[in-house]
Amino acid sequence: MFRQRGGGPAQPPPKPLDPRYKWPEKPTLLGTSVKRLDGPDKVTGRARYTYDINRPGMIYGRIVRSPVPHAKITSIDLSAVQKAPGVKAVLAWKEAGAELFYQGDPVAAVAADTEERARDAARLVRVRYETLPHVATEAQAMAADAPQWSTAQANTRAGTRQETGDLETGFKQAAHIVEQTYSTHVIGHVCLETHGTVCEWEGDKLTAWVSTQGCHQAAQGFAQALGIPQTDVRVITQYMGGGFGSKFAPDAQGIICAKLAKLANAPVKLMLDRREEHLDTGNRPSAFAHIKAGVSADGMLTAFDATSWGTGGAGQGANFPLPYLYQFPNRRRAHTDVYINAGTQRAMRAPGHPQGCFLTEILMDELADRVKMDPVEFRIKNAPKLAPNAMWIEYFQRGAKQFGWDKRHPTGDPTPGPIKTGMGVSAHLWGGGGRGSQSHVDIMSDGSVVVKCGTQDIGTGTRTIVAMVAAESLGLPISAIKPEIGDTQYPFSGGSGGSTTAASVSPAIRVTTMKALDALYAKVAPVLGTDAQNLVAEGGRIHVKGDTSKGLAWKDACKHLGTEPISVDGAWTDGLSSSGTSGVQFSEVTVDIETGIVKVKRILAMQDCGLIVDKLTAESQVYGGVIAALNFALFEDRLLDRVTGQMVNPNMEFYLLAGMSDIPKIEIVLNNMPERGVVGIGEPPTVSTASAIANAVRNATGVTIRSLPLHPHKVLAALEQERAGGT
Amino acid sequence: MDHLTSPKVQIGVHCLNLRHKGMYVLATPYPEESQFYDAYDSTAYWCVETQQAFGPDGQPARPDCCQGDRDCCKH
Repeated sequence: MFRQRGGGPAQPPPKPLDPRYKWPEKPTLLGTSVKRLDGPDKVTGRARYTYDINRPGMIYGRIVRSPVPHAKITSIDLSAVQKAPGVKAVLAWKEAGAELFYQGDPVAAVAADTEERARDAARLVRVRYETLPHVATEAQAMAADAPQWSTAQANTRAGTRQETGDLETGFKQAAHIVEQTYSTHVIGHVCLETHGTVCEWEGDKLTAWVSTQGCHQAAQGFAQALGIPQTDVRVITQYMGGGFGSKFAPDAQGIICAKLAKLANAPVKLMLDRREEHLDTGNRPSAFAHIKAGVSADGMLTAFDATSWGTGGAGQGANFPLPYLYQFPNRRRAHTDVYINAGTQRAMRAPGHPQGCFLTEILMDELADRVKMDPVEFRIKNAPKLAPNAMWIEYFQRGAKQFGWDKRHPTGDPTPGPIKTGMGVSAHLWGGGGRGSQSHVDIMSDGSVVVKCGTQDIGTGTRTIVAMVAAESLGLPISAIKPEIGDTQYPFSGGSGGSTTAASVSPAIRVTTMKALDALYAKVAPVLGTDAQNLVAEGGRIHVKGDTSKGLAWKDACKHLGTEPISVDGAWTDGLSSSGTSGVQFSEVTVDIETGIVKVKRILAMQDCGLIVDKLTAESQVYGGVIAALNFALFEDRLLDRVTGQMVNPNMEFYLLAGMSDIPKIEIVLNNMPERGVVGIGEPPTVSTASAIANAVRNATGVTIRSLPLHPHKVLAALEQERAGGT
Repeated sequence: MDHLTSPKVQIGVHCLNLRHKGMYVLATPYPEESQFYDAYDSTAYWCVETQQAFGPDGQPARPDCCQGDRDCCKH
């Protein structure tokens, strides 16, 4: 089932897979486009997100946060707030003497009977601060006389230092050398449903409705932070409105919510507002690199020497893969993490990859121009041929044909007038393997089927693929399956991150449903006068293989269960999923050289994800990834004031996102590889879009912009610089 | 790509309260991945006790900090 691809080495043989569990060779559902089962609930408002949970007697929590980027708390006075109208609980999250490292660092919290009273009460918490010097940018932090972001730690920390091959020889082999500085910026996750929790205690047992990417993982976080047994914590996440890597733990607001609920002896809802969401729920770190790279006269990469840095905010790192994907035989890289007084980074959809991809792919176009090669041809020549799932060359070739790459003009659109058109290309990779999920299946005597798994649907369609895999296995329509997920009362499953959910959950459902089917066969076989191994389930019937007339309708078969339902546990097994995805994206843009405005006309995404479970939700992942990356390229930017250290756009007005008219035509080519089993697709499609757009802008204008985002003022400045002597 | 992002949390070396996303997702990396790509550490860390990127003592939660004789470390 795991065969060699792209000339690369064969994947290691998996543990022998029980042939009963193999994915069907001729599936009826897998790979088809199935609409989300919960789509009607979502569009009608019946779906209840954490934000929608209202419990009897529920009150509302509010967090008091540091207004400054760096300070020490000298005193906290809660006396006034305790007397405020409607206040039911108040707590100090930090104590006098504590150091605060960023605007938005939580300090104290209150709970009151209405949201308005909670906000009013929060204003009565009197905190005195000793403000400390701060650093708000990488340049400020790296300056020789810079203030320290922390009273205890330096502003920089040396990270990865790697060297492979012989740089000197590599640069001697180079006919051309490019030496430039490239960068990407900090952006937020911008989850439409903000982070938050509803907590309710019943004695010592906690039930928490959490907007989380991991029910079981959040439960462990609550238990350990609160010092209670994990068996006393139940976490429920039926629906959640986006996490993108930022929602794996209860976070401070979750623990604060639980503590307020305990103090008030009442359920508490604590959902962050948009400002808090920007300040204190994570971000994608910045990335900078000064790169010197060499290419031979025949277009082979020879040498790469990079000094890189970036900030993950207060005390967190900011590393990324560099060079990305393409292999320079002789390379050196030294990385430094830079700490500033800003909210801390968190994993964000393909951590590190969009940054490393941009820095490398812009360089690749510059190198291609130096040797006067077409960018696709240049990439094909230098794409890794032995890497896992090395499909790039095929995708470059197929994609270029489909996109009409032959119509691309050389760098700089010669067309007269202010509107310039260009095309760009970029490639990416991701892992995405799964393991470990467990599930439970009940088949009742009335024929109903319930499938339980403690995974969660973070908006990706997991509920639907659980039902699809079960229906495929049992030979039933999807409507006959009741998928139950999003609750720690169901069997363990991992957090939804790293593009691992589909590859973890689908095999577990497959194994468990096939075990349940075996149990049903054992009951039905004597009735049909045959052995269980002669039976097959398809089309809503169980019948003898090769003889559809000798069988029973599903419901009639289940009647033979009598009073004992089939109740089966199962778990992920090797051989039904694998790791490694490849993708290539093409972009066409227009650039108005009088206004600097970039419009993306179309994107072509070539992508694989192993065995496609639901084609529709897989395509949705690509649409979402491309649009998120378009935002990264053209709009989003976490702006900190260099003087005050305050974020100047913690809202949805000045923190820019694409509107409907900004979304291009997006074509998707999904390469179905059923022999590989299921591989995740959540992250890879968001990696290379920004690079493809930036390279298209370069092709349109003839100007290389080596820094994201491609805001109009930056485009105009680059054009002006080009007129003044070149970029 | 998870195993390319090192260093990770090691029992007996790092504080048991140190967390990162990779501890919570069920990934199976391609075993020979590191032969083709360089390692890097893009990981965001947090403390399970504070549920923030800082430990109970207010200092950062990171593998290089959360070990040894730091007062709040749990081994």
